Amino acid sequence: MRYKYRIGALILSLVLIFTNGVSVSAQTTTDDNYIYDYWRVVKKSVPAFELVRTIDEKTMDVTISGFDDVSTSKDRIFLIDTVESRLNILDKNYTFVTSIKLIRNSDKKIVTDSVTGNQLVLTNPEGVWYHESQNEIYIADTGASRIIVLDGEGYFLKRIIERPEDMVGVTQFKPSKIVVDKANKIYIVVQSGFEGIIELNEDGSFSRYFGVNKPYVDPLDYFWKSISSDAQKAKMSKTYAPSFNNINMDHDGFIFATTIDSAALNMVFRLNPKGENVLKQEGYLRVTGDIYPQTGRGQGNFVDVTINDYGVYALMDQGTGRIFLYDFDGELLNIFASSGNLKGDFKAPSSIAWFGDALIATDKTLKCAYVYEMTEFGKAAMGATKHYYHGEWEESARLSQEAIRLNANYDLAYIGIGKYYLMKEDYKSAMYYFKLGNDRTYYSKAYNGYRNLWVQDNFIWIFMAIILFAGLLIYSEVRYHKRKA
Amino acid sequence: MVKLLDDTKYLKYVLFHPFDGFYEAKHREKGNCALATIILVLYGIIGVFRTQYTGFIFNTEFRYNLNIFSLFMSSILPMILFIVSNWSSTTLMNGNGRLRDIYVVACYSLVPLILFNLITVLLSNIIIWEENLILAGFNYIGMLWFVFLIFSGLCTIHEYTVSKNIVTLLVTLVAAIIIIFLCVLYFSLMDKVMSFVSTISVEISKRW
Repeated sequence: MRYKYRIGALILSLVLIFTNGVSVSAQTTTDDNYIYDYWRVVKKSVPAFELVRTIDEKTMDVTISGFDDVSTSKDRIFLIDTVESRLNILDKNYTFVTSIKLIRNSDKKIVTDSVTGNQLVLTNPEGVWYHESQNEIYIADTGASRIIVLDGEGYFLKRIIERPEDMVGVTQFKPSKIVVDKANKIYIVVQSGFEGIIELNEDGSFSRYFGVNKPYVDPLDYFWKSISSDAQKAKMSKTYAPSFNNINMDHDGFIFATTIDSAALNMVFRLNPKGENVLKQEGYLRVTGDIYPQTGRGQGNFVDVTINDYGVYALMDQGTGRIFLYDFDGELLNIFASSGNLKGDFKAPSSIAWFGDALIATDKTLKCAYVYEMTEFGKAAMGATKHYYHGEWEESARLSQEAIRLNANYDLAYIGIGKYYLMKEDYKSAMYYFKLGNDRTYYSKAYNGYRNLWVQDNFIWIFMAIILFAGLLIYSEVRYHKRKA
Repeated sequence: MVKLLDDTKYLKYVLFHPFDGFYEAKHREKGNCALATIILVLYGIIGVFRTQYTGFIFNTEFRYNLNIFSLFMSSILPMILFIVSNWSSTTLMNGNGRLRDIYVVACYSLVPLILFNLITVLLSNIIIWEENLILAGFNYIGMLWFVFLIFSGLCTIHEYTVSKNIVTLLVTLVAAIIIIFLCVLYFSLMDKVMSFVSTISVEISKRW
């Protein structure tokens, strides 16, 4: 009899263990994931992406010393290896296509310099960009101070862009990161160039410097500088405009830029054609990655940014190896990955790019790139953002519900559901969800609607109360004057 | 009890006629210390009430730990500090007010602040963000009234001119800073002494 009970207990416990393991949103991660709430308190969170694949020497035919930049087209991945001076290309199944070091022309002949007779070889390139509309690959060939444009299919040389004759300013022409917009204008980031992003015309002539960054000025410093003499000022350290370290472009053609300078006011930029920062920062926190909880100032050291077609951008933090996901409003969606010594950790993260719904992140020293794909929670959260972006409220709300089921600390989902109910004019539910999501602005909007309805419903009582009050007032006045008379 | 009721009625007179009211409160013994204490306690309670019951739209108070005692004290202690430092500076500057008078003036002056705080807390539950000027307006009225009452009250009981009163208030500020400094000094010293005693006792208990 007792024996029977024991077997029963064993089966029961096994069932409990396994069902429990499955129901926890199918997470196998041991990451200590977190997110910031309204009061800047660190809350536990579920990662939206998980590591599914590593791209390293085993998947390639060439030696790899580390990847410095990654760019993607719809079906290919372009990886730049600065030390080996190679451009490695993979297809959408992550199988090796080709590796380019020697540049060939359209006749498959190696290009040689007409003066020196040297072969045209990549020299420590740092950036690559796939230009969709012209089907071209732009390589920022940093070591040789030039830009090499290859054909997107045959990988043969189309043209070389050298330093423009008419370029002004003191910035050295050492292209590090490169972006080409829909009008074929070329934007180049030069590391530690404080004059801004270099903008070139399609033919390679100089256009202008673009998007100057503002430094954070310490009030105390400002005071001392304002009272010191010219001789003293000459000895003080100069405050330069913080330089950009990476750029990218969203699907509207706006340039995204990041900076690593701790003196910068903003860490991330969405530059309009005038060069002003128009990044929306409407979340609890500004777009600064991690924060110091006491001061709220950001401590992000971003090396790269990538934007997908519904405005979600991923920021790669160099110091902590964390990837931050923000939506188009600047709300923090998720934080995942980290630096360290475990599998999937970064040593020197260098670059990140969307590849469809996957994220590819590269590392400079680990000789590999990681491919991240959405977790169950990630699918719900990203889906909710996507449908919200496209104005499909109902689907967005459904996915938000799913996201909350998997991660109750995901405040954005509560706000998403609240907005859906606000659209449907179900003010009471909207208020409930906005309160859970700590969104006071939208709560106020929902409450306004609720209050209007309440006044409409109870108008007769309010009206009667006013009449009664007026009556009492008149009565007391009349009595007062009568008594006086 | 009857006296308390009478004095409450007199309080209403003081609120609208501070110069006469505080004069009589001092010289005809119409000020009531018990009533003043009740008002001070009410002021502490309203401080707690405000953090807890302000409407969601306007309430950005940190919600993870809420200590009623420290909220209560953070309202009351500045008042007590003001009373003590004002008394200690005015006695040196020919002020005629006793500690009792200052206490009554300071506490009676809190009444408009309490009333308008109560109104704003209740209002904040039924208005939206765009109407926040109403709240700010009520708060300003309460604040101005409070400042006017306490200023005129101190003028009256100390028999000061306006300029002299402003000077003593500045001196009061300095005195308050000194008091805070002494408090901090005292507590840090006591902390040292306590840790010394506890280390000694631990040491002794370990040996024998």
